[in-house]
Amino acid sequence: MGERVMRQITTTTIVLGLGMMTEEYVHAAPISTNTALPVAKGEYVFREQGVLNQSGDDASEADRESSVVSSVTVVGYGVSPELAVFGVMPLVKKKLQLTTPGGQRITRSSSGLGDMRLFGRYTIFKQDLPGQTFRVAPFAGIELPTGDNTSSDQLGRLPAPLQPGSGSWDPFTGVIVTFQTRQFELDFQASYQANTQANNFEFGDVARFDASMQYRIWPNELTETTPGFLYGVTELNLIHSDNNRLNGTSDQNSGGTTLFGLLGLQYVTQRSIIEAGIQIPIMQDLNGTALERDYIIRGGYRVNF
Amino acid sequence: MARSASLVLGVLLMSTVQAWAGQSHRLKVDGLACPYCAYGIEKQLRAIPGVKAVRVSVKTGTVTVLMNGETKLTRSRVRRAVSNAGFTLRSFR
Repeated sequence: MGERVMRQITTTTIVLGLGMMTEEYVHAAPISTNTALPVAKGEYVFREQGVLNQSGDDASEADRESSVVSSVTVVGYGVSPELAVFGVMPLVKKKLQLTTPGGQRITRSSSGLGDMRLFGRYTIFKQDLPGQTFRVAPFAGIELPTGDNTSSDQLGRLPAPLQPGSGSWDPFTGVIVTFQTRQFELDFQASYQANTQANNFEFGDVARFDASMQYRIWPNELTETTPGFLYGVTELNLIHSDNNRLNGTSDQNSGGTTLFGLLGLQYVTQRSIIEAGIQIPIMQDLNGTALERDYIIRGGYRVNF
Repeated sequence: MARSASLVLGVLLMSTVQAWAGQSHRLKVDGLACPYCAYGIEKQLRAIPGVKAVRVSVKTGTVTVLMNGETKLTRSRVRRAVSNAGFTLRSFR
C-alpha cells in the first residue's frame, strides 16, 4: 500500500473515530465537577490531577484503541471573596492503535503541552447558616491554543483530534450551584464550550451537565480534634458534543452524547486533599462510528497556600 | 497592712499574666462546613497584626483567636477578615 493512501486511510479513520476525544478540564472540589465554594481573598489553590482516558471496544474492522494520559495542573487565586481566577494547564500523551485495511497494526501518538484554559468564577449569591452554605457562581473563560497543533509522525501530519492542542480559541461559560453541610456536599454545573476553527478543522461544541454528591463517611461523629474528612464521591456527568467539521463539512461519525457515572474517595484536611475516582460510561449515544469510551481513571491532590 | 499589700500584689500579678497571655476571642462563623475551607479563615485572621494563634473548629463553626500582649481585636476587623475568606460572621466576643 502506498504511503499516501495509507496516510489518508489512517487519518480519516482517526478523525472519524475520535470525535469526542476533547480534553476534559478539572478544577473542581468534587473530582470532575466544579464547585462554588470560596477561594479566600489572596489565597492560592494548587491542584494536580492525573487522568487516564481509555477508549476501545471498536465494532469496526479497524479495531481502534485509544488512550489519553493527562497530567493537569490547576492554579486558582482569590481576587476578592466573590471573584476567583483559575489557570489550567494539561500535559497530554495521546495514542491510537488501529488495523489498516491491509491488515497492518499501526500506532500513532503525540505528546506535549495541551491547550491552557483561563477562566474567572464570580459568586452572585450566597446564604451562610451555621454549618452549611448555599452558593451560586457563574464562570466564563477561554481555551487558548497553547498546545502544538502541527505535530507529525512517520505517516505525516497527525489529524486534529490526535494533536496535543486544537490551535483554536474556544470560549466557554457556565454556572455552578453548591450546597454544603458538615455531612455532605451537592454540586451542580451546566456549561457550554463554543469551539472555533483552526487548520480547517473545528471540534463540535460541547454542552455538559454535572451533578456531584460528596458524603462524609469518616468520622461518624465530629470532634474538636478531627484531623480531616473522608468523603465518598458520586457524580453523574452528561456530555453532549456536536459533530466535528472538517474543511467545512460536518463529520457524521463524530460527536454524540455520553452519560458517565463516577465513584471516588476524597480525604480532606485543612491544607490538602487527596482523591481518586473512576468514571464509567452508563450510556453512550454516539454518532456513526465514533469510538466509545471504556473508562476514565482520575487521581490527584490539592493544596492551599 | 500585710493583707492589703498581698491583695494589691495579687491584682498586679493577675494583670501582668493576663497582659502577657493576651486576650482570647471566640467567633461564630456561618457557612463553615469542611476543613479545607477553614484554611482561608485562619489565613485571613493570622494576617491581622497582634494575632498570636487561630484555632478553627468545623464541628461547632467557632474560631478561637488568641492575641499578643495588649493588642485589641475589633469586631469590624474580624468581620472584614471573615468576609474576605468568603464566610459570614455571626458573633464575636
